[in-house]
Amino acid sequence: MERSLVERLIAKPELGPLVLLVLLLAVFTAINPAFMSAQNISNAFTFTVELGLIALAMTLLMTSGEFDLSVGSVFGFSAVLMWTLFNTGLMPMGVAFLAAMAMAMFIGWVNGMLVTKEGIPSFLVTLGMLLVVRGTALYTTQGFPQNTWRAEDQWLAEVLVGDVTIFGLRLYMSMFWFALAAIVTHYVLTQTKVGNWIQASGGNSNAARARGVPVNRVKIILFMFSSAMAAFAGIISSIRTQAANPNSGTGYELEVIAMVVIGGTVLTGGRGTIIGTVLGIFILRFMRNGIVMIGVPGLAYNIFIGGIILAMMVLHNRIERRHMTGT
Amino acid sequence: MAEDLIRMEGITKHYGKVQALTNVDFTVHPNEIVGLLGDNGAGKSTLIKVLSGAEPLTSGDIFIKGRKVTMKSTADAIANGIETIYQDSALVPQLSIARNLFLGREPTKGFNRMNQEAMNQVARDLLKKVGITKNIPPTTPIGSLSGGERQAVAIARAMHFDSDLIILDEPTNNLGVAETQGVLRFVRGARDSGHSCIFIAHNIHHVFQVVDRIVVMRRGTIAADDIDPKKMSIAEVEDVITGETH
Repeated sequence: MERSLVERLIAKPELGPLVLLVLLLAVFTAINPAFMSAQNISNAFTFTVELGLIALAMTLLMTSGEFDLSVGSVFGFSAVLMWTLFNTGLMPMGVAFLAAMAMAMFIGWVNGMLVTKEGIPSFLVTLGMLLVVRGTALYTTQGFPQNTWRAEDQWLAEVLVGDVTIFGLRLYMSMFWFALAAIVTHYVLTQTKVGNWIQASGGNSNAARARGVPVNRVKIILFMFSSAMAAFAGIISSIRTQAANPNSGTGYELEVIAMVVIGGTVLTGGRGTIIGTVLGIFILRFMRNGIVMIGVPGLAYNIFIGGIILAMMVLHNRIERRHMTGT
Repeated sequence: MAEDLIRMEGITKHYGKVQALTNVDFTVHPNEIVGLLGDNGAGKSTLIKVLSGAEPLTSGDIFIKGRKVTMKSTADAIANGIETIYQDSALVPQLSIARNLFLGREPTKGFNRMNQEAMNQVARDLLKKVGITKNIPPTTPIGSLSGGERQAVAIARAMHFDSDLIILDEPTNNLGVAETQGVLRFVRGARDSGHSCIFIAHNIHHVFQVVDRIVVMRRGTIAADDIDPKKMSIAEVEDVITGETH
């Protein structure tokens, strides 16, 4: 029995990313002790949250066998939409926020319908949507950022990104949202009936359908969730950085997918892990932050990220094979 | 005479211009294992697809326990008590045995939370019932089971949810000798606990070992539908399949 416990631990897809994260922290701290300072940790956390929110939703979507390349452009577009509605005096901020969220969910719904009803691969559907959404953001703003300086005295801004200082650590409200989203998505994926359906939809959609699982509805809802989280993250980011730039979020889709797969979720669906994704999020964030802190040129960042992705894929692949052959 | 479990009457199926089934009558009685034989292209698979809801029929009627039914999907067929087990395709490899058993009908206990203890307990009992003596935890993913064990899980699931009819399409393909014997044992066990089966296999020896009655199809029609495997030799049945005797 003890042997099987060790074996089970090794078979866990989260073990690899956990070891990697600990290693990274150790190496960075050894080279530059300031890496572990409260100031730096709280900085790293702040940026983490925005991509992290999207990565949590993407984990569920990828477990169901699909993925979404349009999240980066929805990130930029939703913030622009909300601020435009608010700045032009069309709506109060709370309503503009809801309108932007509803628009994002509509985008996700269109993605989901095209993938499930038309049978077009999610790569193509969401690539097309990426361009449509980004194009819309650029065209309607003529490429100019929307000003967000009136966020100051709005309760919504306080709820989304307000900050508290605990033991010298400056924590933003957005961290609370991220933690909540991580707990909920983890619970849904591992404990619930819906979670079982998500895994079955990605693992063997025909078998799931035959058992009465509404595979299409599951996927459409996850596309909507993914878009909604991208919009939520984009709006949080616009308030924090005090700019709603139609170009913001460019390339985020790939960074998010990298976080998810590093954590051990399978690109082809059927198996996903929120714990792994949270580790993946921290790995990429601390990499970006740590590389700069230990004096490696920031431009070299992608070399390390690419290397990590490749190494983790090899590791996950081997574990998966061992796991499936039952050794 | 006991009421038929399944009665298919005048079933015809076209694929465009190709006539796959012509006026087929086919019955399954309660508590019976029917062997469905025929050469490639004889219409076995088409008949099974129609019966399992995977393909719509062109004309004809299907009765279950005397009640006329229309089935638009495999989910419909399952709801009507007809479960089809294709090798590998009926299960999700990444999910555990217990999660596969209850897929789509997971018992919950508030907040959509699955009652995993109950699921595991039922799974453990069922595995014992279908005769898996090896101690396999119900949390084992399907992907790490052998082909025969997967068949066993699929059969156990059909039995647990009281499918009246279990259709096994080539269940012994690619299985070793011991595994094949295991699957044949599960099939007999299913009949002995009150289920009927349709058993389709290329290997006529496997069919002879397990079935009560053999139905032979040829060119989209029924060539013989009441062959008693105890009264006819394998060679004679092969002749019926190829059409060498009338």
